[in-house]
Amino acid sequence: MIDELPEPTPDLDSQPFWDGLAAGELRLQCCTRCGTLRWPARAICDRCASFDAEWVACSGRGVVSSWIRTHQVFAPAFRDRVPYVVVRIALEERPGIRMIGGWQGGRDPVVGEAVVARFAPRPGGSVVLDWAPDSDEAGAAKSNASGAPTAD
Amino acid sequence: MTTLRDQTAIVGVGYTPFSKSSGATTLTLALRAIAAALEDAGLTPADVDGLATFRVGDSVLPMVVAQSLGIRDLRFHLDLFGGGSISHAMVGQAALALHAGVADVVVCYRALNARSGFRMGGTGRPLVDAVETPFQAPYGYFTPPQQFAMEARAHMARYGTQPEHLGQIAVQQRAFARDNERAMMRGPMTLGDYLAARFVVEPFRLFDCCLETDGAVALVLTRAERARDLRQVPVLIRGAAWGGGQNLYANQVEDPTRTAAADMAPRLYAMAGVGPSDFDLAELYDCFTYSVLVQLEDYGFCAKGEGGPFVASGAAARGGSIPVNTHGGFLSEGYVHGLNHVAEAVSQLRHTAGERQVEGAELALSTAQPGYVAGSTAALVLQRGA
Repeated sequence: MIDELPEPTPDLDSQPFWDGLAAGELRLQCCTRCGTLRWPARAICDRCASFDAEWVACSGRGVVSSWIRTHQVFAPAFRDRVPYVVVRIALEERPGIRMIGGWQGGRDPVVGEAVVARFAPRPGGSVVLDWAPDSDEAGAAKSNASGAPTAD
Repeated sequence: MTTLRDQTAIVGVGYTPFSKSSGATTLTLALRAIAAALEDAGLTPADVDGLATFRVGDSVLPMVVAQSLGIRDLRFHLDLFGGGSISHAMVGQAALALHAGVADVVVCYRALNARSGFRMGGTGRPLVDAVETPFQAPYGYFTPPQQFAMEARAHMARYGTQPEHLGQIAVQQRAFARDNERAMMRGPMTLGDYLAARFVVEPFRLFDCCLETDGAVALVLTRAERARDLRQVPVLIRGAAWGGGQNLYANQVEDPTRTAAADMAPRLYAMAGVGPSDFDLAELYDCFTYSVLVQLEDYGFCAKGEGGPFVASGAAARGGSIPVNTHGGFLSEGYVHGLNHVAEAVSQLRHTAGERQVEGAELALSTAQPGYVAGSTAALVLQRGA
């Protein structure tokens, strides 16, 4: 039974990711041989099989791949939170990387819209990843010009 | 290299009643279903030398079942961990063992108290120990209805799939369930009923979600030459395939509206020497309405993105070109994690499905969960034997 809001549970692979959120950065693993980003963290590159990687800060930009609104109370921790929106984001740097996150839009998300990361502190001291509409039109235009990810 | 095609057969099917509260342990449920399947086949526990099951930490160990049945030398056993994406892989692997001569009679079973015990829909249960859980649970995303609703929304946004399309799946399957005495939900349902029901996880309403069921199903498998001497019309395993592995966190999935089934289906069809237009019926894994819609596309019954209009045309309904989930599926019959789909296909191919019989059925497709969540999937092509 989930009585309390689930907190991040870092392990030896994911600790730098969570540390990044706490520092206000979206940090992902990057292969130092071929430059491919990957997430969640794991020891090997899915493109070139190299074990060599470094953590890099990403733009924090992406597009809404999908979203849901949960009405059912699946656990006591969410009894006072329903209905709530959860989004799935395809990252700008590698759209195959999709993240689940909270939504700070103040309205329903739209599949395909540009979004930016929001680093959301929790009362217990942890920081999780929410997303909000990208109001930076210039930034949106720039990313479109460079081949922005399309909605999936 | 020999092929598995038509080398093995399903010769017995057994069920417990389906309910919300079985009042029995998963061991008792398994034993009842196995006994019924052996009776159906005209065999006894003394004939069984293989057992296969799969679990998500919610059911009895096969060794305990073997001991209960008095099996002294279990020559083949499978105890797979996972959900409905491996249900049909279990059957395929049992067929491999039979074909290789490792065992002579293998019983595949699934026993669960998915409503009164470990609730399959996720309500009230602990977090599952999966690699993705730490990246989802903090946001309140940790149950199958949420995972599949997320996929359905993406399909709706990309292809214009409508709530009414999903609703037609629920309504059409209910129409079959009305003629199924095993079905938990036999009352009439209209599209209006579907649309009026409460949201569980938008875009899913109540009847997009399958039942949570207490019950068990068992299947008895043996080699085809022995099957011919047994009590029932044998149902040959003409094709079996499993595969995939890329889920949401694979980083390489370019199009989430396309499942692992789209990659696997050509391999399955090539092995069986069939194509989608050859099937008389299909039992498609329906944990949610949307999983049926996407499989109609990914198994080639219609083009990508056209699942909604295909369903609306009635093609997958009773009397349509490819009747789907002739027992009512998980949505209306009950949820036994894929095995009741195989069992229904067997009944149809034996021509013993009563009022819901698809006339003259010779070839059926039965599928596992198409690959969301775990990334893998599996399916069987089943053929009425001589």
